[in-house]
Amino acid sequence: MTGAYGGVVSPAADASARDRWRALALTDPVSRLVRNAAHAGIDDDEYDLRLLALAAVDIVVGSMGFAREATLDDVVDELAGLAARMAPHRPDQARDVAQTVVRGLLNDAHEQRRFTYRFADLGAPGEPARWEAYSFRLLSLREAEYGPVLVASDQAVTLFLHGLDVDLEDADRALAHVLQRQLDDRRFDAAARTAAQAERTSVGMSAMLAELLDATRRDVGSHDWEREVPERLLRARRHVESRIAEDDRLLEHVQGGLDAETSPEVRAVSGRIVDLLGRARQVHLDLERRLVGAREVFLSAQVRQRLARRRRLRMLALREELLLPVLELPRAEAALVASAFADRALGVSVPRLVRFDDLVDALWAPPRAREAAEPEIELVPDVDVSDDVQRYPEQVVAAAREVLGAAADGEVRLSELLAAVPDGPDAAEVTELVLLSALWAFAPDVAAEAEGEVAAEVDVLAGGIEAERADELLDVPGVGGPDLVVRLRGGATGATETPAEPADVLFVDVYGDAYSRETVS
Amino acid sequence: MTSVAADLTEVRAAAELLGFALARRARPVEGGQYRALLDRYRSELRFRDVVDTMAEGLGLEVLGTPRSGLVLAPDPAGPFATRLGDLRSTMDADDRLVFGLVLIGIAAYAYPTDADFDDPETKLVEVATIDGFIRAALGTLGSLAGVEGSAEERARAAAQVYADLPQLITTQTGRRARGCTLKAVEDVCGWLVEQGAAREAASLGPDTFHLTDRFRLLVADSAGGGALDALRDLRREDVP
Repeated sequence: MTGAYGGVVSPAADASARDRWRALALTDPVSRLVRNAAHAGIDDDEYDLRLLALAAVDIVVGSMGFAREATLDDVVDELAGLAARMAPHRPDQARDVAQTVVRGLLNDAHEQRRFTYRFADLGAPGEPARWEAYSFRLLSLREAEYGPVLVASDQAVTLFLHGLDVDLEDADRALAHVLQRQLDDRRFDAAARTAAQAERTSVGMSAMLAELLDATRRDVGSHDWEREVPERLLRARRHVESRIAEDDRLLEHVQGGLDAETSPEVRAVSGRIVDLLGRARQVHLDLERRLVGAREVFLSAQVRQRLARRRRLRMLALREELLLPVLELPRAEAALVASAFADRALGVSVPRLVRFDDLVDALWAPPRAREAAEPEIELVPDVDVSDDVQRYPEQVVAAAREVLGAAADGEVRLSELLAAVPDGPDAAEVTELVLLSALWAFAPDVAAEAEGEVAAEVDVLAGGIEAERADELLDVPGVGGPDLVVRLRGGATGATETPAEPADVLFVDVYGDAYSRETVS
Repeated sequence: MTSVAADLTEVRAAAELLGFALARRARPVEGGQYRALLDRYRSELRFRDVVDTMAEGLGLEVLGTPRSGLVLAPDPAGPFATRLGDLRSTMDADDRLVFGLVLIGIAAYAYPTDADFDDPETKLVEVATIDGFIRAALGTLGSLAGVEGSAEERARAAAQVYADLPQLITTQTGRRARGCTLKAVEDVCGWLVEQGAAREAASLGPDTFHLTDRFRLLVADSAGGGALDALRDLRREDVP
């Protein structure tokens, strides 16, 4: 004979030992969280943590299967409220207490793993015990569309809702009596269950309707008010209609039974059903109120949004009707208009998504190997080639380097350098690169350099040269401002001038040659 | 891909669904259009084909459809792929190594076993615990074998940088300053939140984050690698 006690105690005790042991184990996490709470400075004498744990399971179970389940925040808030009522003099601690309870039920101390207990199966007398692991969860976190929600495990539901729902004082007699009575006259039981079911449906419909109306207030076009919504409303109205009539009928019936019946047990059960029906009736009346107002919400939103419909930009004279009025507005209001304009005017923006491996590979890419510096041109320690389309091609960099190499022989004018750019398909790009390098040499942007936000080529080419302002103006298409004198850094000494802001000195049309040819005339 | 011509209204609905998935803020709430399309994706094989095909053309792949919405991963060459430049622009080589290490550390900490990839339970992580976990694993990472330039060598380098950083530096206002590992972990968590891969769990205290289904699916999609495998092994020893 095998069994938990190996038949030592009694066959009957033996047979149910495992189940009873499980029920015992299921309550242990709560005891454990009460013990651990002491370490967190929460006094068991001030808070009833067991009740809070029960409440947490109740709140979670109460919302499961509804359109909106209890989120973590909901539960913590609710528990904090209860905790605050237990210790009104410590309002600061209520939230900690709530967190401790939720964390305890999630088994946060063990990374939300399952609670695991070992059951010793003793088997036949004389044999060594067989250990058997029993693991379970009480609450767990899931992600729902509106955030993290809490879900109760089957064990939590069974034990905390049903298993402990027993009047310990006189459970036997009362239960038997109630049961007998309900069996005699099946109506109460059935009525209560139907009422509860109907209440759930109504709460769900209520939530759906609230969501729909909110969405409509934001945007009339969000739901199909032509066909789909009226159908839904009709369905909801029928449901409510039948329920409200039913609620009244049931209430009357139960109330009648209550008056006629004298046994206290039946009175108690009837009282509970009356409560339940009263709540359901309230939900139905709420729902009805919402339904009555639904059409109105749609109509007013439609009027409002139709009037406020935005106009197309092409219908505005941008200068008179947009720019000038905006300039006269106070800052906050101007910002509103400007950002609304910018949002539409800036066009498509591409959201960036990640892939785990690609991101890690990119982050951990080995640093690029540096080439040795070429001795004769100090301007070029490193040109790294990558397939970035924003980069200048190799041959352009080489050509620009050659042009700038003239500075190694002494001072040279920027205009001369630009004139020395060889004709060819890349001439425009080489010119641009030489220009940028000279400008960079004139006024390096140290901050940008430190953050690595400077095109590598410009940095490299300009690294070894310096430039200062000359008296003449430049005469190159697409470029304005004074000419520059370019030389090797630390080369011939001239009067040192304070570098001015580059914008004062030189205007470079960075949009490239094609653009400047077309627009500069 | 089937050769059957797709109905244009179907194509439009598919595009709409991808649009919702790309807008990270969109949530498939009951009764909403996103939810309807998501349910359709889950239940209608033909619609699913249309969406998948369209995603493929855009350089995207559907990783899964948890309750929080369609999770997409980009083709590295496609327009939606994150480039390094999209991260904090002032990161130097060491910052990048640490960022990668923390990312792997969080993944390994939350999902030590393969079964975790299929478990819809939301994992909680805390900044200090992640830091502790990575610090404890530095020795193991430092002894990974791999030649110059391999992922293992990069992991060693990352571990070295991490080991050399102090755990905490504070600013004058008492917050964590850049240059300490707690701040690095906080930064990565913040970035995950931006990506929709994590949420702040302020109701459970400061520095606590939920990892979302998006993150779980992203990590599950990963082929792993020496560092991730080593950290997951270590984590499995912690939690039997």
